[in-house]
Amino acid sequence: MTPVPGPTQIIKEDNVTHSFCGLASVGWLYQKIRDSFFLILGTHTCAHFLQNALGMMIFAKPRFGIALIEEGDLSREDPSLEDMIEEIRRDHHPSVIFLLSSCTPEVMKVDFKGLARSLSTPEMPVLFVPASGLVYNFTQAEDSVLLSMLPFCPEAPAGEKSVVFVGSVNDSIADDLRSEAEELGIKVGGFLPENRFDRLPAIGPDTVLAPIQPYLSRTVARLNRGRGSRVLHSLFPFGPRGTRIFWEDLAAMFDITVDLREREEAAWERISEQVDILKGKRVFLTADTMMELPLARFLKNAGAEIMECSSAYINKKFHARELEALDGVRVIEQPNFHRQLQDIKRENPDLIVTSLMTANPFVGNGFIVKWSMEFTLMPIHSWSGVFTLANLFVSPLQRRSKLPEFDESVWLKGVMPSAEG
Amino acid sequence: MRLAFWLYEGTALYGISRVTNSMKNVHTVYHAPLGDDYITATYTMLERTPEFPALSISVVRGQDLASGVSRLPNTLEQVEEHYHPEIIVVAPSCSTALLQEDLAQLSRHSGVDPEKIIVHDVNPFRVQEHESAEGLFTKLVEQYALEQRRTENPSVNLLGFTSLGFHLRSDLTSLRRILKTLGVDVNIVAPWGAGLEDLRNLPAAWLNVVPYHEMGRGASDVLGDKFDMPSVEGAPIGVQPTLAWIREIIGKLNAIAQEMGKQAIEMPPLTEFSLDGLSAPSGVPWFARTADMESFSGKRAFVFGDATHTVGMVRFLKDELGMQIIGAGTYLEQHADWIRRELEGYLPEPLMVTDKFQEVSKKIEDEMPELVCGTQMERHSCRKLDVPCMVISTPTHIENHLIGYYPVLGFEGADVLADRVYTSCKLGLEKHLIDFFGDAGLEYEEKGPAAEGSNGRETAIKGEEDIPSGIDGSGEGMPWTDDAETMLRKVPFFVRKKVRKNTENFARENGETTISAEVFKKAKEALGG
Repeated sequence: MTPVPGPTQIIKEDNVTHSFCGLASVGWLYQKIRDSFFLILGTHTCAHFLQNALGMMIFAKPRFGIALIEEGDLSREDPSLEDMIEEIRRDHHPSVIFLLSSCTPEVMKVDFKGLARSLSTPEMPVLFVPASGLVYNFTQAEDSVLLSMLPFCPEAPAGEKSVVFVGSVNDSIADDLRSEAEELGIKVGGFLPENRFDRLPAIGPDTVLAPIQPYLSRTVARLNRGRGSRVLHSLFPFGPRGTRIFWEDLAAMFDITVDLREREEAAWERISEQVDILKGKRVFLTADTMMELPLARFLKNAGAEIMECSSAYINKKFHARELEALDGVRVIEQPNFHRQLQDIKRENPDLIVTSLMTANPFVGNGFIVKWSMEFTLMPIHSWSGVFTLANLFVSPLQRRSKLPEFDESVWLKGVMPSAEG
Repeated sequence: MRLAFWLYEGTALYGISRVTNSMKNVHTVYHAPLGDDYITATYTMLERTPEFPALSISVVRGQDLASGVSRLPNTLEQVEEHYHPEIIVVAPSCSTALLQEDLAQLSRHSGVDPEKIIVHDVNPFRVQEHESAEGLFTKLVEQYALEQRRTENPSVNLLGFTSLGFHLRSDLTSLRRILKTLGVDVNIVAPWGAGLEDLRNLPAAWLNVVPYHEMGRGASDVLGDKFDMPSVEGAPIGVQPTLAWIREIIGKLNAIAQEMGKQAIEMPPLTEFSLDGLSAPSGVPWFARTADMESFSGKRAFVFGDATHTVGMVRFLKDELGMQIIGAGTYLEQHADWIRRELEGYLPEPLMVTDKFQEVSKKIEDEMPELVCGTQMERHSCRKLDVPCMVISTPTHIENHLIGYYPVLGFEGADVLADRVYTSCKLGLEKHLIDFFGDAGLEYEEKGPAAEGSNGRETAIKGEEDIPSGIDGSGEGMPWTDDAETMLRKVPFFVRKKVRKNTENFARENGETTISAEVFKKAKEALGG
């Protein structure tokens, strides 16, 4: 454990943990960007992951596929994907193909950039997206996808002052954010990404970038450097306080002064029942989707005690405000799961926010859990998301209190013979 | 290189974990990049394991590769410290296999007793799920089984039951019930629930029972060679195969009983195998003879799956339910020859061998069978084609991991399979009524193409209800005139897709480009209704 200096002390461990690699992002991005195709240059393992872990076996003709590297392909020079690209073009007519890397071709040192360039046409660009588990986890490949699209965002002229929200959300959240901004007098330039590749927002020196997902640090940094766009450094718009500060800070960047304290109060009032339940609850976040910092901050604001907030990657600049708000909380980057398990068994938290891989076993060990992945798939943004966000934490706590007593020596018998003494 | 959307068999790593996750005090360490332990989620979510699957990852990061660091020794030490397993299986990943890392040597650099480390260094680019699982289980039995005195009572080992096997727990219960009725003890079930001590004790049984063709035969061969143990191979799928299976077990046990001077086992009255001890052990023989089932003799079935269930199901449908088999196939190429031998005389055409689901789907679309028995993917394909389908083989979906008792082996398995066939197919008398009266108010709503992704991110983790959209890109049909559509709507709903397709084929062959009422009538005449 190496302590890292900074306002909130971050402890860094060795990342021996259970989480998904960057390819997981395909699960929502291919649905979000509707004129896209996601082509993963990968192995049987990548295919098996996508069809199993994400339940994506359901689509017989999805807009993603694996260019499958088999044994005979290992000794070849750079892979030839022309025929496959043609097949995809013919069957799917995408406006863009994202070419995702995975571990094996990274080890093979495939020249992805050159490959993508050679496959691109003016009508249908092929964009390289680094996503392998050697470097990226879970949500981080969304950052890579957005980065790859930046050259296709039109240049907004200087003087055109508007906000571009950065992060993929569904239409109803996008509509909410847009109308909220407009009510505050903020001009909306669009979203990165939009629902279609051919409708990317214009970005320029007077664009204000408002990140709405906490895992997109590289995209905003690149735009800040490359186009001189200004970046909103605030809290992420989750929960009453995060939402208030997000909008107040954003308005301030447009020289608009707003005081949303009453709005925040009203939002807390709406979830007062949930807050009563969360108050004093001891919560442990084991690290999975990189949503952990703002989630922990919301829980802390609601009066819960955060026993540990772990996250796969923490960017001290991009996450500065969240870290500040977590002052006093034990924050860990790249945690060790074995250590967490030991701590959890000793400290006995009231609620554990954890991955699909570890949730049921924690329940089997007598704990109450919430799937961390749900937070990336539910409308929890801004004012309209407050209720959903609070309920996601409260629902497992309430549910448990409604179920009858459980004698595990009886009701777990035979469920997992390998674990029986 | 090819474009793949979905694959039948899992990876070598998945095969390894299916064995180790079945076993007590055995821990797997994947030397792999972050995310390669996604497999954990299949255990905790499909099997709903209430304890942590004993799988840990020794994370390979890009920066470690660059600096030549390996975290494997340290991970092994952590696993030893936290879990004290009796055996640690070290498994490679695609990346580490490609880098040709010497996992055995790396493991020796840990402070962990090398005796308890097994490196299962399969090539993940060549070996897949079943071969990898079978290889590891054989290796474990070879390494740990020890000479034992035979048990006093007649006993058997049940070999090949493995985590995430098809209807695993129910099938185990079904076979245990039969053996109990015979007065035969189960010595060890392996790998499911077995520990190191159990592996040592395998040779105490009189006989090895190996129901699955894919898993357990290697171990049984080792036990036969080293300890002279006989075995009974083959899956008791259907009533007659179950009876034959019981007789074979009795025969082989009695040969040993005689050698040991013990009393022979007798076949008990068949009622004793039933749940209440008073009834027929299975309803299938009578069910198949009822008038209601007569309509099944004309029903055409297609079967696709692993080796064990494809063979068992083809025979059951033909021999015991009297259905027509129009074809069968498997995704397990390495077992295709065995399937061909087992199904000699059953198949009107060569066995289909493919790991491309699109080819299977195309076959179903071309044949439009009245019943498909397949994997999760065939059910998905059939749903779009409106073809009745039941799942009889892995790969499966959460719907095949239910909590009720649904065996497919043994007498009770025969009942479950017959019920599934019956409820999947369109029914007898009801079918005549529908044929005669057409829609008769029984119209199912025809679903339009689902709004794909309209909800952005909210669709990933959920059931499989939505988003059908043309299977092989040939979904675009010919234009139909309104009056032809009206005529088509008078055809019973459950054959409408088939009629539409046949009519379009007829039109194409006759150089038509649009289906008018006239063309439809001609097609109807030419195709016989």
